[in-house]
Amino acid sequence: MGFGGYQGTILRVDLGNKQFKEHPIPKEWIRDYIGGDGFAAKILFEEVPPECRPLDKENKLILATGPVTGTSWPTSGRSAFFSKAALTGIWGESHVGGFIGPELKYAGYDLLVIEGRCEKPVYISIEDSDLQLKDASDLWGEMTDTTTSRVRRLEGDPDTQVAAIGPAGEHGVRFSSIIVNYARAAGRTGMGAVLGSKNVKAIAIRGRGAVQVNDHEAFVELAKQAHRRTRENPQAQEMSKWGTWSLTATKQEIGELPTYNHRTGVFSGWEKISAGYIRPRYTVSDRACFGCTIGCKKVNYIKEGEYAGTLEEGPEYEGLMAFGSSLGIDDYPTTLKANEICNKYGMDIISVGTTIAFAMELYEEGILTTEDTGGLELEWGNKKAAIQLLEMIGEREGLGELLSQGSKNAAEAIGPEAEQYAMHVKGLEVSGQDGRTHRSIGLAHATAARGADHLRSLVTVDQLGYEDVAAKRWGKDKLPEIIDPYTEKYKAAAVVETENAYCIRDTLIVCWYSVSWPPIFWMEDFAELLPLVTGIDEFGSVDNLNLIAERQVTLKRLFNAREGITRADDTLPRRFTKDPMPEGPGKGQTVDLDPMLDAYYRRRGWDKETGLPTDKIIKNLSLDWTRDFMN
Amino acid sequence: MPQQLTVDYTKCTGCRLCELACSAHHENKFQPSLARLKIVRYDDIGVDIPNVCGPCEEAPCVDVCPTYAMRRDPITDMTYVDYDKCILCKSCVGACVNGVIRLDTESMRIIKCDHCDGDPECVKICPTGAIQFGPPARSTVVDRHDKAETYLAEMTRTASEGES
Ligand code: SF4
Ligand code: SF4
Ligand code: SF4
Repeated sequence: MGFGGYQGTILRVDLGNKQFKEHPIPKEWIRDYIGGDGFAAKILFEEVPPECRPLDKENKLILATGPVTGTSWPTSGRSAFFSKAALTGIWGESHVGGFIGPELKYAGYDLLVIEGRCEKPVYISIEDSDLQLKDASDLWGEMTDTTTSRVRRLEGDPDTQVAAIGPAGEHGVRFSSIIVNYARAAGRTGMGAVLGSKNVKAIAIRGRGAVQVNDHEAFVELAKQAHRRTRENPQAQEMSKWGTWSLTATKQEIGELPTYNHRTGVFSGWEKISAGYIRPRYTVSDRACFGCTIGCKKVNYIKEGEYAGTLEEGPEYEGLMAFGSSLGIDDYPTTLKANEICNKYGMDIISVGTTIAFAMELYEEGILTTEDTGGLELEWGNKKAAIQLLEMIGEREGLGELLSQGSKNAAEAIGPEAEQYAMHVKGLEVSGQDGRTHRSIGLAHATAARGADHLRSLVTVDQLGYEDVAAKRWGKDKLPEIIDPYTEKYKAAAVVETENAYCIRDTLIVCWYSVSWPPIFWMEDFAELLPLVTGIDEFGSVDNLNLIAERQVTLKRLFNAREGITRADDTLPRRFTKDPMPEGPGKGQTVDLDPMLDAYYRRRGWDKETGLPTDKIIKNLSLDWTRDFMN
Repeated sequence: MPQQLTVDYTKCTGCRLCELACSAHHENKFQPSLARLKIVRYDDIGVDIPNVCGPCEEAPCVDVCPTYAMRRDPITDMTYVDYDKCILCKSCVGACVNGVIRLDTESMRIIKCDHCDGDPECVKICPTGAIQFGPPARSTVVDRHDKAETYLAEMTRTASEGES
């Protein structure tokens, strides 16, 4: 193959014909898309047309890695799943930590593409070049933890990395996830349902080979420095100790802790779901993904009370929000229990929590009554009811059946009076941010390819007021507005630049936490790193990396355009644009989306009226080939 | 004074950077399966245990070797392979209590930890200090061992209460 970092091989499994095939990665793909997200966008665009619905057998599911996966670069143990999303019907992707990406590389493959459908439940077993579809009839119906333990035993090697779906993925719960090694979730957009529709219960991977980079010595040296930088970074040190939990206090302070279904950004019970409260009482060990110096994962144990004996990793800040403040619950054990149920059933904690918040608000408004809920009193803060409803969704029972379709579909079924309470963009439930107190995330939620996404273009520099970083990146002339979270001005510039950098992050693939708050690594670091890994000098230019990122963002946009997405879909829930923030530091704020959208499209080279990429930009980004695949 | 790798598994996060650093140093590539130490991860209970070479008061790999190829350096106390004598019978691989002696099936050589000639890469990269290099400090190791055992016992106790 000749390029360092890559194995140079795509592994395809055709479930219908029970065949595995290996294909070389075309050199131009590497040049134009680098890896990870880029390769996945190329494949899904070419191979999954608009007439294919997410749960059709023609849909494909991809597990992707990047050129640094499996090396000693900090936080490079992550990987990602891609598909047309079961939850939204548009572009879907879900990144996950753990060990499965590196293992796929050691087995000799950069990508795994899963195609077709099996008649009977199977699990995919990859042990270096030994490739098999193994019977999983006995595993069907099992929770993800039991599945993982049993697959490891069946494979006879405890070092096998396992990605599994639970009952939610089997039943087609729209926001079902894929769970890697018990607790790492490829949570968002419903990847579990896609795998379930293919009758694949799990993916088991064991690899004993090597990953080799182009310039080993220089790379190892740079990676050592990178580890040192990570270790000395104050934010990373905080993450090591507190994980993402420290966000609860930060968010409360700035008035952006989503509470009562995003109605407000201040939660009186915040302390009991904050880092300082949780860690000394519940945390028993710190863990990391492969190759990570930070180690933000916390294993927690509940000694007493209703959930005594619960031993589980997590939840992240997003889970504390989704099952804590958003439901009015000030009880950490409930959030841990909810996280455990989400992991076992294989459900996205953000989407399912936000959908339960939606149901609670409907209950308060009298749109849902105990008749609809089967007797559950869905009052804010009702812990028991929240947990019960969560299990009902996992099983698709009673009201759970309706809610398992996601808040957008549920709202449509209930009626127009319900719609304003469904907190989603393009069908994906809103994560734990609020554009009213942080304008750039308003724009990011509205424009991200997979819907209300906080990971593709969340600018943190503006909100946390890192003036120096902002001046360096965007120019002194844009200060102070660009770091003022309450104005729309210049936010498109910040979002576009950040989205580009994250795009390269997702081609490598490295963790979000190495590029956030303010970043440890940014474009110039990727430009230094990539040539050493790959031997491709062109990757040493930041301009070229920006071009690759723009190509990718536009390619995903074209994928969505083919599904009918236009400017009209780049919206926010009514609450963010119409209801002023009722209290806290951001009191009185709303989002004025249109001026930010105008500026965003202009920067992306997309048409202002339609929000679609123009012919000119399609040509400039060498995306002319997409025309052959447009309808 | 002989130096050894000592391990505190209450600190280990299971990141396996040590395996990466070890293979990067000895094999010039990233290949955890050829690392001279091994992190045993118990994902279901959230515990990670580094297995390293030594400290072995009595080294089974030395005792079992039929050709006396596996020997102990009298000064450093470290065991090493005399490749001229090794017949690749794999007895040491089976005998190692820590499971860290391996057969590299590509180069057909027994591979084992050599303390990186006194400057261990695994120790240098470990972000948490879970692996250290120095004179054996038994008492603290034993204390920490106790702590982990208590933790595991507590979990087992609660689990069995839950079942009954
Ligand atoms: S920072 Fe956390 S999520 Fe990111 S790679 Fe490290 S352990 Fe995994
Ligand atoms: S001391 Fe050196 S050879 Fe031994 S395990 Fe550590 S890195 Fe490997
Ligand atoms: S580098 Fe340290 S923390 Fe990471 S797995 Fe090895 S011993 Fe554990």
